[in-house]
Amino acid sequence: MGATFTREQLEAKTAVELKRMCVDELAIPGMTKKAKDIVIDAILAKFGASSGTIAKAAKPADKMAGVAFQAQSVLTKPSAPFGSKTSTTIQVSCGASTGNFPVAGRSVKEVGEFLREVLNVDKLSTGLVNGKEVGADYTLKPGDTLEYLKPAGKKGC
Amino acid sequence: MTQSINIVIVGLGGVGTILAERLCRFLNFSQDYSAEILLVDGDQYEMKNFERQEFSGMGNKAETKADELAMKFSNIEFDIFDAYINEENIAQVIKENTIVFVCVDNHKSRMIINNYCMNLQDVTVISGGNELTDGNAQLYVRKGGKDLTPDLCAYHPEIANPDDKLPDEMSCEELSQSEPQLYFTNLGVATLMCWMFYNSVVKGQHDRSEVYFDILSMNSNSKIRIVKE
Repeated sequence: MGATFTREQLEAKTAVELKRMCVDELAIPGMTKKAKDIVIDAILAKFGASSGTIAKAAKPADKMAGVAFQAQSVLTKPSAPFGSKTSTTIQVSCGASTGNFPVAGRSVKEVGEFLREVLNVDKLSTGLVNGKEVGADYTLKPGDTLEYLKPAGKKGC
Repeated sequence: MTQSINIVIVGLGGVGTILAERLCRFLNFSQDYSAEILLVDGDQYEMKNFERQEFSGMGNKAETKADELAMKFSNIEFDIFDAYINEENIAQVIKENTIVFVCVDNHKSRMIINNYCMNLQDVTVISGGNELTDGNAQLYVRKGGKDLTPDLCAYHPEIANPDDKLPDEMSCEELSQSEPQLYFTNLGVATLMCWMFYNSVVKGQHDRSEVYFDILSMNSNSKIRIVKE
């Protein structure tokens, strides 16, 4: 019989213990930099006393051709109805091109390299997250929107 | 009651000729606006321009286009400035409460216009440009000395620090080398600029201050830009 948890049990643990559980035992990705209450919510959504039991860790996604890249999902709305609990993708755009990609947890620089040909991202493009400029090392969170600034058209005469 | 509006169209080439005709058609028959339009260009029309540019005579572009538009649209007052815009003459061209359409082919002109307008109290700048099969349009609105949308350079360092030259700074050899352009792309830019005019000036909406389009992927995408502090 698999393990389940109550909120009280999880709150008794430290944030470090909870995060280690997510990585080592529960296969819940993207929690290492989250606040304790968010980690607890994510664990309860999957292994709460009234929800499922521990399953085997999911097999990592196959590597994308030519790029070592692992897609990942995060329970961003654990209390939402079934089927609406996850926001697995982030809207990424460059100029007129836009798409939704599973890149939460990745840096702006990594995503730019990965999507360079798909969205025609220039190597030197500045990234805007939720409309504001961010550094290349910014790590994308579920719910973020990312734009790589495309240079303005020059001609017209 | 009609509202007076003062418009400046800088650049009467591929984008400017298309834009001017469509804008004038709207304004000439509008019950709401009484328009005065200043056309600005230091260049001359040549037969090789006819592939992309709409004109019906040779000579200075501003003068030729003004004559042509005045014949068609009698409810609009036209004036001309038959020189390339630069830092010395811009104050003669752009005044307070002007709507400026920037249809030029270099970022240095855009930068000069942008930086001048940043010091005005009330102005609307609609700038467009393209590469071969894609382009964009930007809207910059200032009211009461405050930016309601970001200026043209805020998210475009290539405009803030242009690596190109004004037309009257270029040598003959440089002037003769022009990058290929596509009429349909010029048309796309002019259309976006007309949309921005309608949204911003007629409807008073300016939340989406930049639009990109791409002919090959058949996509367009408008952006909400945050005014930087």
